[in-house]
Amino acid sequence: MKRELEPNIEPIIVTGEQPHLEDPRVVLSLLEADQVVAAKERMRFGRQKLSGGVRAMLWGLRIYVVVMLVIVFISVLRAIQAAH
Amino acid sequence: MDRPKPEPNAAPFIHAHPTTESAAASSTAPELAGLLTHEDVDRALDRWQVSQARREGRRSKRFGGLRVLWLLIGPGVLVFLGENDAPSMLSYSADGARYGIGFFIPFVILTFVMGFIVQEMTVRLGAVTHRGHAELIFDRFGKFWGFFAMGDLVFGNFLTLVTEFIGVRAGLGFFGIPPVVAVVGALVIVAGAITTGRYWTWERITLALAIFNGLFIPAAILARPNWHSVGHALLTWMPLPSGSHYEILLLILATIGATVTPWMLFFQQSAVVDKGMQPRDINAGRFDTILGVVLASVCAIAAILATAPLFHHGIDASNFQGAQFAEALEPWIGHTGAALFALGIFEAGIVAAIAISTSSAYAFGEVLQTGHSLNRPLRDAWPFYLVLLGSAAAAAALVLIPRFPLEFVVLTVNVIAVLAMPPALAFLLLLVNDREVMGEYVNGTWANVAGVTVTVLLICAGIGFGLATVFPKLLGG
Repeated sequence: MKRELEPNIEPIIVTGEQPHLEDPRVVLSLLEADQVVAAKERMRFGRQKLSGGVRAMLWGLRIYVVVMLVIVFISVLRAIQAAH
Repeated sequence: MDRPKPEPNAAPFIHAHPTTESAAASSTAPELAGLLTHEDVDRALDRWQVSQARREGRRSKRFGGLRVLWLLIGPGVLVFLGENDAPSMLSYSADGARYGIGFFIPFVILTFVMGFIVQEMTVRLGAVTHRGHAELIFDRFGKFWGFFAMGDLVFGNFLTLVTEFIGVRAGLGFFGIPPVVAVVGALVIVAGAITTGRYWTWERITLALAIFNGLFIPAAILARPNWHSVGHALLTWMPLPSGSHYEILLLILATIGATVTPWMLFFQQSAVVDKGMQPRDINAGRFDTILGVVLASVCAIAAILATAPLFHHGIDASNFQGAQFAEALEPWIGHTGAALFALGIFEAGIVAAIAISTSSAYAFGEVLQTGHSLNRPLRDAWPFYLVLLGSAAAAAALVLIPRFPLEFVVLTVNVIAVLAMPPALAFLLLLVNDREVMGEYVNGTWANVAGVTVTVLLICAGIGFGLATVFPKLLGG
């Protein structure tokens, strides 16, 4: 791909037959600013500050999953014992 | 068109925010133009086709929108037909075989409505942020919570993948095909779908395979269901299932797990991103998701109807798995019907194996920040493809181990999916209500009410199952 570019990219309206995708201006005109892979790698959503309530909820759900997994394990052992 | 590696003292991450600004109009456009990848170019081509279709659509008013929809459907249909996988179809079959036409028919529709409520949120998240679900969880909640979410996903996905290959083996076993041939053949199909290096081609191949989920419909028709009973069940939710309350609860949980699972959230959001959907495509994404819900619920109900004769003839299907349903059905729906049913189980396994292994690979790439797109060539994103094929191959290998407790996996997989869902839904609801991430596309009040209701229902179902297991006499079981 040709890398010598104007300092500013003019958006171009892509119409008609197959677009000239070897032209970076065409590719950039078709994508949103944060849709380009390089832009996504540089721009990230920062950490969200979690309130005490949200933390408590996430911990509660985590404990729920662990307890439930133990119960599933017990129930499967029972089922296998019953089957044999 | 390889992208140069970032310089060691490159600027730190810039805080992202939702935008619909064209990349060409952005202040970083000159720099981005030199960093474009193969993935960007493929995605731009897809966007060009959509914008062309929109322009043509404005000119011919009557069928103008159809081409746009054709181009934009995919992730929603795939996620729901993918979730009509081998263990799900076996759960629906168990519903039909053990309780006949009644409560479970409207209940299945309710579970698909729940599925739509949560999957629609992933469409918005993907189209607005252009980030996958795992990536957003790690960015917004940090590694600690991110690894918990990933742990649930990886564990659930792997168990589910094993059951898909059990389905493949069982479905083809009906035709006398040896397990090794069936499982290796399925792996070849999974590999074949990803070698195109193009999301669009992968999506169309997988959609073409997924349409064969409809094989359950002729199987149901051959079972000659009593349509009056079907209508009555749909309107009244009757007759209610009778017998062991514990078994009914287990089947209710497995039926919910057949429609609402964590991998679906990760898969659809990543697929929406890989497809290059933008906020203006959200309505088409909703249509895609509704289409998936309708197709998948019809096929699910067809599986119940196809196996209902086993209930009416008093056949004990409590320990049936895979091809045993097809074999048991043969006297009542004929060899053709049984063969269609067995092929349907095979198809359900293969499509889900493709979708679930892709979901694992997307999440892996997003977390490790390596290439994670089906638009990337193999040499450019080999870790992504390695996880995709490696997870499928490991699951396939387990199925072939003699005396491996397959029964254990099939029993647990849908139940585990339901139990892992509430934390996944909590992250989803937090993200979709996060104005910094979603901008004007945050959840409305009704979407939140619906999302919280689904989460509470799943928690209640899980707690009910837990109580029934620990205190069996509580439910008279």
